[in-house]
Amino acid sequence: MDIIVCIKQVPDPEGPQDCFVINPEALRVEPRGIPPVLSLFDENALEAALRIKDACRDQDVKITVVSAGKKLSNAVLQKALAVGADELVKVEDAAFESGALDSYATASILAAAIRKIGRYDLILAGRQAADWNAGQVGIGIARFLDIPAVTLVRKIEIQEGHALLERVTADGYEAVKTPLPALVVASNEVGEMRYPTMIQRREAKKKPIVAWGAADLGREGELRNKLVLKRLFPAEMRKGECMLVEGKTPAEAGRNLARRLSQDGLI
Amino acid sequence: MVSSEGSVLIVTEVDKNQEILPISLECVTAGKRLAEALGGGTVALIMGAGVGEAAKEMTHYGVDEVCLVDHPDLTAYQPELYVAAFLQVCERVNPRAILMGDTLTSIDMAPRVAFALNTGLVTDCVAVEVSDGEVSFVKPVYSSNVMAAYTFASEPYVVTLRSRAEEAAERQETADAGVTPVDVKLDAASVRTEVLQRVVEEDAGPKLTGADIIVSGGRGVGGPEGFEQLKELADLLHAAVGASRPPCDLGWAPPKSQVGQTGEKVAPSLYIAVGISGATQHIAGMQSSKKIVAINKDPKANIFKIADYGVIGRWEEVVPALREAVSEIRK
Repeated sequence: MDIIVCIKQVPDPEGPQDCFVINPEALRVEPRGIPPVLSLFDENALEAALRIKDACRDQDVKITVVSAGKKLSNAVLQKALAVGADELVKVEDAAFESGALDSYATASILAAAIRKIGRYDLILAGRQAADWNAGQVGIGIARFLDIPAVTLVRKIEIQEGHALLERVTADGYEAVKTPLPALVVASNEVGEMRYPTMIQRREAKKKPIVAWGAADLGREGELRNKLVLKRLFPAEMRKGECMLVEGKTPAEAGRNLARRLSQDGLI
Repeated sequence: MVSSEGSVLIVTEVDKNQEILPISLECVTAGKRLAEALGGGTVALIMGAGVGEAAKEMTHYGVDEVCLVDHPDLTAYQPELYVAAFLQVCERVNPRAILMGDTLTSIDMAPRVAFALNTGLVTDCVAVEVSDGEVSFVKPVYSSNVMAAYTFASEPYVVTLRSRAEEAAERQETADAGVTPVDVKLDAASVRTEVLQRVVEEDAGPKLTGADIIVSGGRGVGGPEGFEQLKELADLLHAAVGASRPPCDLGWAPPKSQVGQTGEKVAPSLYIAVGISGATQHIAGMQSSKKIVAINKDPKANIFKIADYGVIGRWEEVVPALREAVSEIRK
């Protein structure tokens, strides 16, 4: 069984606002003082793949992680190998800067890489990237490869030639059956990815890394973007004039808070 | 026959009781502005089974036309059938722009539609701006630290609009628009992904979306027992219970109660954050609340920077006293 997981390297999304420095002319966000990390949602997708590997111990399950970008860090992406992926495929090109590619272009590049990898029963993607938050690439890849796609999936069970999935809905979930190969967009409800041990981290350095460029995929030249990024500007962060409600004890402060909210007509 | 060539197509969603979702009426407001800029009309589309009444109701909100696709195979959202129906409507309407609410359905449907039409998509749009005849679509990026404004290099524009980014269109007594039924051909047998079962999970208390007050807990709440206490306070206030990501990951709170970048984006009148430190990903989902209360034992917690009222103290002592006092006031 061959599983491909699409992962993206992003600047740590939990960094404070002044770390996300906007270059308005180049239309780029230049992160300062925050490390690149794996996009959290892609970690959800990889965790879902690892659970399949755990559940199918009697079978030969190979997990390949694929990532596209301008400059990819082995140190960051090797985390995927450390937790249990078997191989890393990096697609790097000066033109593949995160902000320069829209979802359409990204999906077509990743689909080309997956076609070149060739063997896949299941492709997993995160629900959105933690930097540009578009949430479209998974479905786009499925479209380019002409395979079924199921989104917001929290649980995957592989059976002969098909997969049984739990897809999150507004008031519960749907049990969905899809033939394989298929693309599955993992929901964040899959939960956090496991931590690699020190030994796993060391072993990961011996796992194979394949490096391709745009030319290897026949993707030099036009990016095929459908959107035009026109402007970047800082988000206005909410500024609360925080009124501290106090009391001799925390309980009294709690009672004073009730009074205050009532006086201000809020409860 | 659909008359408004080159118009803005507004995808209207209804709830279980066939009531039109508020977000769809907010899309009408944005859609009208967009249509004016593009020089076309507005067409609202309702798809489903037995949604004729909702279509009739939709004629009261100032759109130029309402398209109705009523088909027994569209009882519940199934991506392949819905997209097939939608693309047939697009052939008839030939829209220049397609607007949808940023809902669980459109998270799935909007990208399918955009890729099928070979066009771009802006998701989670918070502002539709028209300046000098050029329309741009603004969305938060980089965990809501940065805003990005996009235009399209292709048509139709496909956009999903975040809840409460616009005022809802007001209902008018007179219905100007007509309802145009659109016949679609669907082949349920050709569907590749089959829904075997739809399961409704228990869902106690008011929903986050639309709640006027939300009581929300974070990692500091310490466990599921803590969330039971928050539920008691919430019940008194007729409030919904929310959570930041850690309690949902840890199973203390149901995943659907998650407020944040990937959970619900809420904007209640009052948001009471208990034991929530204020991670960016959480703040992105609740900073539009009218008033925010923070209860946290750590005076340096980030949440106090955006809160309007703060109590520094252990929630285990603050919340029970708050609850009792609220109960007194409510008598």
